[in-house]
Formats: sequence, structure tokens, C-alpha cells
Amino acid sequence: MKVSLSWLEDYVDIKMDPAQLADALTMAGLEVEAVADRYGYLQSVLVGRIEAVDSHPNADKLKVCRVHIPNGQLTVVCGAPNVKAGMLAPLALAGTVLPDGSVLEKSVIRGQASEAMLCSDVELGLGTDPGGIMELEESLTPGDRLADALGLYDTVFELDLTPNRPDCLSVIGIAREIAAIQKTPLRYPDFSLEDKDNRIGKLASVTIEAPDHCPRYAARLVDAVKVKSSPFWLQDRLLSVGLRPINNIVDITNFVLMETGQPLHAFDFDRLAENRIVVRTARSGEKFFTLDQKERTLDADMLMICDGQKPVAVGGVMGGLNSEIETGTSRVLIESAYFSPVSIRKTSKKLGVSTEASHRFERGVDPEGTIRAVNRAARLTAELAGGTLVEGLIDEYPKPFKPAQVSVSVQRTRQLLGIELDPGHIKNLLESIEFEVDNIIADGDDHRLEVTAPTFRVDISIPEDLMEEVARLAGYNNIPITFPAMPAEARPPSRQLEVRRRLRQLMTGFGFSEVITYSFVHRLSSERLGLAATDPRRSQIPIVNPLAEDQAVMRTSLIPGLLETMRYNLTRQVKTLKIFEVGKIFIPRANQALPQEPEVLAVLWTGMRYEASWHGAQIPCDFFDIKGVAEGLLGALKIGGLRFTRMDDDACDYTRAGYCAWIMAGDSTVGRVGEIHPRIRDNFELKQSAYIFELELPHLIPLIPAAVSFKPIPKFPAIYRDITIIVDRAVEAQSILEAVKNMGETLVETVHLFAVFEGDPVAAGKKSISFRLTYRSGAKTLVDDDVNQLHKLITAKLLQAFNAGLPE
Amino acid sequence: MENNLDQIHQQALNELEGAESIREIEDISIRYLGRKGVLTRFLRNISHLPADQRPMAGKKANELKKILDQAFRQASEKHQTQDAAGEQGIDVSLPGRCVTCGAMHPISLINEQICGIFSGLGFDIAEGREVESDYYNFEALNFPKDHPARDMQDTFFISDDTVLRTHTSPQQIRTMEKQAPPVRIILPGKVYRCDSDLTHTPMFHQVEGLLVDENISFGDLKGILTTFVHQMFDEQTSLRFRPSFFPFTEPSAEVDILCIMCRGRGCRVCSHTGWLEILGSGMVHPALYENVGYDAERYTGFAFGIGVERIAMLKYGIDDIRRFFENDMRFLAQF
Ligand SMILES: [Zn+2]
Repeated sequence: MKVSLSWLEDYVDIKMDPAQLADALTMAGLEVEAVADRYGYLQSVLVGRIEAVDSHPNADKLKVCRVHIPNGQLTVVCGAPNVKAGMLAPLALAGTVLPDGSVLEKSVIRGQASEAMLCSDVELGLGTDPGGIMELEESLTPGDRLADALGLYDTVFELDLTPNRPDCLSVIGIAREIAAIQKTPLRYPDFSLEDKDNRIGKLASVTIEAPDHCPRYAARLVDAVKVKSSPFWLQDRLLSVGLRPINNIVDITNFVLMETGQPLHAFDFDRLAENRIVVRTARSGEKFFTLDQKERTLDADMLMICDGQKPVAVGGVMGGLNSEIETGTSRVLIESAYFSPVSIRKTSKKLGVSTEASHRFERGVDPEGTIRAVNRAARLTAELAGGTLVEGLIDEYPKPFKPAQVSVSVQRTRQLLGIELDPGHIKNLLESIEFEVDNIIADGDDHRLEVTAPTFRVDISIPEDLMEEVARLAGYNNIPITFPAMPAEARPPSRQLEVRRRLRQLMTGFGFSEVITYSFVHRLSSERLGLAATDPRRSQIPIVNPLAEDQAVMRTSLIPGLLETMRYNLTRQVKTLKIFEVGKIFIPRANQALPQEPEVLAVLWTGMRYEASWHGAQIPCDFFDIKGVAEGLLGALKIGGLRFTRMDDDACDYTRAGYCAWIMAGDSTVGRVGEIHPRIRDNFELKQSAYIFELELPHLIPLIPAAVSFKPIPKFPAIYRDITIIVDRAVEAQSILEAVKNMGETLVETVHLFAVFEGDPVAAGKKSISFRLTYRSGAKTLVDDDVNQLHKLITAKLLQAFNAGLPE
Repeated sequence: MENNLDQIHQQALNELEGAESIREIEDISIRYLGRKGVLTRFLRNISHLPADQRPMAGKKANELKKILDQAFRQASEKHQTQDAAGEQGIDVSLPGRCVTCGAMHPISLINEQICGIFSGLGFDIAEGREVESDYYNFEALNFPKDHPARDMQDTFFISDDTVLRTHTSPQQIRTMEKQAPPVRIILPGKVYRCDSDLTHTPMFHQVEGLLVDENISFGDLKGILTTFVHQMFDEQTSLRFRPSFFPFTEPSAEVDILCIMCRGRGCRVCSHTGWLEILGSGMVHPALYENVGYDAERYTGFAFGIGVERIAMLKYGIDDIRRFFENDMRFLAQF
């Protein structure tokens, strides 16, 4: 909402300078977003003296003028009939932006250079005479800025109003707030109109068939008008708030709209069939051409203003082409109605049209303001368009509005706001914005104020609404700061939050950086990830109104986000990347509106194992690097029974078969680790290997021991014995280690694998595996004899179980 | 025999005298005392001596072994200290073997800082779902259907009745439904609005707060938020509360801080107003109490919502919010 200082001053004397006023309005809840010099565009328009006027060598109607400015002379081509040597006229220099939006540039007009422009008052938004350039008073000084010379000063405020304050979508509404802030009076224009008879009743009628959509419809008729340009003062008002003048009739409705906040519509009365108005809902599928020359398809919920035969306007949203005011219009019917906010909002949304009118109706206009506005508009029409007012007012009001009456406790107000206020103080504050305090009733220690809200304050219905007004007018910054009683300490954070924090700390400690990617991804991302058609992660939840194609569905995996991040960085020459993300994925549930939202940790490593350094050649990272991180992380979380099991080839989807594994803790799968499948890499346009692991927090969290209990440090020394056996290449090392553990020998404390070897002298298809057994007793110091026999036995069992041999 | 041993002794000492490095000393040591050394061979050959000479020879030889061993060791130690004094050492300016920590995302850092401040003030942390029903995201929060207030938050829809939460406030309702007053919670999390430019991304992070108890006033709201601002920025940061509108609070207030870039003189960051809007707040609207079954006569409370990106941009001087979600390593590594 834009409002100009000069227009506001029609209704209230303003004692503050523009900056103070902006601040005061903001602090009263009407946020001023911008304060602008209304005549800023005249910065580069000067008073110019025309020194000489010569004929244009190539055009009869054009003149070549030499115009004097302080720094010299400019040559200007001008076609105005009134241009003559010696006169003063506005000279717009190159770069000036005129009110119609055009930008002045130096140009060549029919072979003659023109360095600036001599302007008419219309071109400068300063008048209505299109006949020639503006003739300035002789007494002005050439070279002065035009705005200074003519005393043109005005400020335009741009307000960002909250949806609860439609009363301030008008100049009077804002003036009212200023009057309250300054404690000065507000001057209303004369809204009265005395009717001697009701001649309109014989000429026109209004029938409301849809009172729920249209509780009130008022109209007046003006006869014998002349449609032409508005007088300058009216155009000037509209221009000051950014509206373009059209013709006197339309300008008057816009003027009254801006002044009072009541949208009006003017119909060419002679184009209304049967000279009557019927307010009804549309027929489903009905077509209608609106003023913007678009054909609209209507539905049964939309309110239409019709004449005796056909729709003539979409009620409260936009008029129709078929009843538009034209140059020849002679009788004008002015509509001033109160439409239901919900009805207008639905229609405006469905049609995708938002207008000054619909914006106000959907927020709620003053139901009692309709008559004032139609009176004001009718009187102006008669005055400015040379018409005759047809006596009488149509006012169909099937659903009379009841002003809000609210009772508010003084004590409760004090308690909620935390400020000392007495009943008289509250009364004064409310009355300053036209609330009526009908009664103050003593109620024990308390007082109750019975208050009637003004009808333009459609946002008032409960005591808290009044408390807010009191707080606002008393000034939020006058409310003293206090502190609530708080408990000594908060409850401990949830397990999920705690684990997430720990994961972040550990992963950053391992050298990985945290990323946050969007929760919505490309529609094709799970296809690109190679997920099987039956995979639950294939059913992604689509967003009805996504902003972009790559943000169209909710993610079911964090991997696409990490791969996109990898690509983003690779293309920016960052080739080694160690990143992780903790976030939700979204898995739809059968028969439930809301999805499951499990949290996942996903980690990616690509590029080199170490940064380039003098310590050695760079080695690319591999499966065992990422697996090591997973082991380190799960180890730090004290997760027991950790195993990595080979994935079936058909389960591998986005990881490379043979290079990926399930991460198991006991019998539960907590995640997976592996190399990204080369085909999937291609889908994401990645040219280097990447390794990932993923953990699902809902599976992981229950496995993390809540408390650690101390085990005594061993009292007796251990004996170490190594075994090397040669087995088939396909035998998994883990199975050998597990076989030893499963033998259940109590003296065997740990089994640690320390070497794997393939190639000469080990036979083809075989590999040698070496591991160290730690033998320890809790009861005594072991000697060789205690262990030798057992070690031989374990070796023998392994040789048999794995069909293994010993090295030569 | 004895001569022989004396000879060995003298010869060994002579050779030791001439040794110039630890390496040479070790060689000499091996030559005399090693498995195939001179003295070892002597001891092995004792059996060839006449029986009466054997004990004496063995004793003398073993004594000599001890003496030489001692001599070699001393010589070796002497050389070691000499070497160290003369050696240049290493180039300590060469880079060490790289150990690099990763970086936490700046949003996580600021989020933790905000949560830490409120935890310290006695607020519990609660989290909720991101795909929400229209009821919890809007209706229970006093945003009626077909009300212009809904335009305040551009919403991503999953269906007519399901949305991506536009704020973390739904969890206020869910918490109040489960828990009787007093309620003191903060609600960090991701939220979504369909908007994208220099200052908006379609996903961002919020920390909301809710305090409901007996006798909570607007003054208390000012107290808690003033403390927050002072801890988050500094004690000198002035702030102002100005009237605003949110459907779920009344009275509602925007909180501005004096621009931390220009200290109120006006600059590009504060659009030349001298103030920066940093959070929205207000007293809980009675309609919410009705929706969760609280006694609105007995309890009052306040709620507030902080944009984490907004705070992070101010704290770190970041001018484009989209940086947070591009995940450029050159950006992330700075935090
Ligand atoms: Zn600033």
C-alpha cells in the first residue's frame, strides 16, 4: 500500500518529518518498508531558457531549439506548436525516467541530433494539457531544478500491511492511525448526501439472490455525464500512489477506493439489460470476458453481478467488458457493496486474479462504509463529469452487520501485557482509534470495559484483540522487561538429538565435512539410483507445486544429494571430497496420509586418501578406507557384534557388486557400505570412483549402549601365537576369525588378522591369511606349555574346517 | 695361552682406538665377541688345551669378554653423544603428516548455539515431523482455510490436506496435546516455503519456542528474547519490539536488533533503516489453548520463531542464503 504525505494531509495535520512519521507508523504496527521522494524523477529536469528556435532542415513540423543551461547550451528537437525563443520551459536531460516509465536518451531525429527534451506537463505528470510544452513563469531562474523552482515536494510511503488490518488499506485509515499517534483530530470529507425523493427506484433495481456471498449492495445513479480526462488535482492524487489516470469516471471510483478503502464499480447503465442488477452465483462452466480482455470460465461458487440477462462483472474481483464505461457513456450506475471475504478469496484464487478490489474484499471492508463511499463517488461524479445525480439510494442489506461488542478485564490486560494501566488510560487509548467504551463496570478488585469496535475494524472479536490495541498504542517499548520463573535445569535432550550430535562430532573428527542438501530431489532420482521397481524407496512423495523439476519429490535416500554435491564440487576443481549428511528421508505408508520420516547418516569419500604431501605419493581412497571410517564410527559408539556381510548381487542397486556389504550389528542390519556402481556414477555424470556408507538412525540408536560399565584390566600377561594358513581365495577372512571365536576356548582373548597374501609362492586361486591369537587367563600367568597344545588344536581344526594348508 | 689372550686384548683395544663411528665399533665388537668372533672361537677351542689349563683359560677368557664388552659399549656411547652434537637434525619446517578435521555446517553450528542458549534458560528441546497435516500446520494454529493469513506463508502441498511444514509450530500443538502446563520447549528443524531468491530458499531452518505457564506476560517475552539476543550477539545489542500479526499469537511482535553492521547509522544490510528484523513472537492466541484443551483463563504464554539462516548470515557476513545449500567445499571449509 502506497500513500503520499500530501494526500494524508487532507485528513490530518502532520507534525512529524517523513522519517519520524515512518518510524512512528512502523512502531504502531504499520510497517513502512520504503520512504521515497515523490518527485525524485524530476532530479534531472531543469528550468531551461530557449535561446533560439530554427526550422528543422528535414521536417516542416519540427523545430531545432538551442536551450540555455548553466554549463552551456543544448540542441533540442521539438515539435510543440507553442515553442518560441525567449520562453522558459522544463528541460529533461538524458537519463530522466518519465512517469510513464520511458527513459530519455540522446537521439537523432530525422537527421538532427537532439540532446534533451522539452516537456509538456502531461509528460512530467504535472498537468493535463497535452497541447504543447509547459510554459514556465518568467520569474524562474534558468538552470534551477524544476521541482525546487515549482516547490514540488512530496513523500511517498510504502507500507507492508499485515492481513488483519484492511482498515489501513486506505488513506483515511492511515491518517486515522497518525491522528491517534499524534493525539490530533482526524478530518473526514463530507460523505453526506441528502435525497429529496427516490427517483432511482423507478429507474433501477437490485436483487440479491446470494446473500451469503453478498450481504450488502448499494448503488447510486448519475445521469448525463461526460466521460473525459479528470481534472489535474484528481490525476495528481492517483499518480501520487502509483495509479494511472484513465478517465474521470474510473478515476473517481479509484480515488474513493484509495481514500476510503471501499472498492466501487461503475457500470454504463444503458448497457445493463432491463436496467437492473441481479447478484447471484455463476452457472458452472459459464464463460465471461473480464475487463482485461480475457475469457474466464466460471464455476458455481463464484459470485456474479448480472443485469436482467447476463453477467456483467465478477463480483468484487473484476468488471466485464460488456458494461465498461466508454467515451459515449451517459448514465453511470455506481456499485458499492460488501462481499463475503471467503467468497471473494476463493474466486480470486480460482481465477488467478488479484485486484485492488479483491485484495480488500477478501480481508474485509467496512460493511457500514458502503454508503459513505457511494455518496462520495456520486457527488464527485456529478461535480467533475458534469452529470446530474439521480435522487435516491439503493441499499439492499439482507444480512445486517452487528458491530463487535467485547468486554475486557483491566486486570487481565495488565497481567497479559505486564504493564500498569488504569481503566481511564485504556479507555483513552481505545477511543483514540474510534472504539466506543460503553461502560466501565467495577468487578471486585477488577474493572471491565464494555467496548464496541468500529465497523471498519473487522479483526476485533475477543478481549485479546483489544489488549493488543492497548499494547500497540501504549507502545511495546514502554512495557518493562521481566523474567518468568524457570526451572533450575531443562530435561536432557532426546536420544535422537544426542546421537545426531555425537555423529556430527565423530564424523568431523574423522575429517568429513557436513553438508545440508534439499529434502526434495529430482523426480528421476531413485531411477537414477538404480533402485528396483519393488523397492519402497521408489515411491517418492511428489510435491504438488514444486519450484523446480529437480525439487519435485521428497527424497527417499540421501545418496542422490551427496552425488550431486560431489558433482558440484568436482566441476569446481575440488577433486577430493569427504562429506556427510544427517537428515530425514520420507517413506510413504499404506493407508496413512503422513509418511515415515526416518533419519539417516550418509557418508561419501571420493578422490585421494591423504592430501598431497611430501610424505609420499598420493593414493586414491578405496573400499577399505570408507569401511574403516564406518568401523571407527560404530566402534566409538560402542556398538557390539559388528559384522560386514557380502550383499547379494541383486540387492546391490547403486553399489558395485562385489564391492559392497551390509553393516550388521548382531542380527540387525544398520546400514551398508560400498563403492558407487559405475553405471550409477554415469547417471550422475561423475567420472571418478566414490565410496559411501549409510546408517539408519532408528536401527542404530537402540544398539548404542545407554551406559558403559567398566571391566577390570587384565592382571596377568598374555601369550601371543601367530597362525598362517592357505585357503581358497573365496574364503572370507571374517569366517575364519569367527570360526576361532566360535570354538569357545576361554583362553583365547582376541583374534587379530594382520596379513593377507596372494601370488607366488602361494598357488593360484589360493591366498594366505595370517592372524595373531592372544591367549590370556584371568587366573594365572600362562606359560608356553599351557598354550602349545591348544594352539596346535586350533590350527588343526582350522585346517580341516577350511580345507586349508600350511605354508611351505 | 695367556699371551694369546693378552694379544687379543691389546689388538682389540688398538682397533677400537682407530674406530671412527658407531658402525665401526659395532663391526669390531662382532669381530671379537660375535658368534664367529675371535674370543668366541678361543672359548670353543679351550677343549683342545691340556686339562689342567682349561679352567684358568676359560676364566680368563670370560673375564676378557666382559672387559671388551664394557669397552665397546663405552666407546659406542661416547660416539653417540659426539654424533648428536655434530648432527644437523631434521627440517622441522616441513609440513607434518596431515590430520584434518572436517567442518560442521554453519547452520548446524548456529542451530546448536541457539539451542544451547535456550537450554541454558531452562527450555527443553522437541522435534517433529516435516510432512504435516493441514490441521497441525494451519488450522490448529488459527489459520482458517480461505483466510488471507495463509498467504503469509507460501506453502508446498503434498495433497489438499498434507503440506511440507511451513514452520516448526505444528510441534507446539502436538506437544501441548500431550503435556499439561507448564510447557517450556524449543523446536528446531527444517521448514519449507515455496520461495527462492537472495534471501529465501525453499528449505530453511527455524528454532521456535513456546512457554506456557501461569502468569506469563508480554514483559516476560521481552525478557527471554532480550537475553537471547544479548547472548547470541552481544550485551550492547539494542533491540526493539514492534506490533505485527501472526494468527497464532496476540499481541504479536516482530523483534528488530540495531543493525550490527552499521550500529544503526543505516547501510545496505539493514536497507538503510538501521534495524534488522530477526524474529517473530507474541503471546499465544487463546484459540490454540482451546484446540489443545488448556484452560485459557488460567494459563498464558508466549511463542517465538527464529530463522537460523538469517542469524547465520548476520553472524558470518554471508550475503546470499543459497550458499548454505550449494555445499561448495570452499564455503563449508571456512566454518
Ligand atoms: Zn545497517
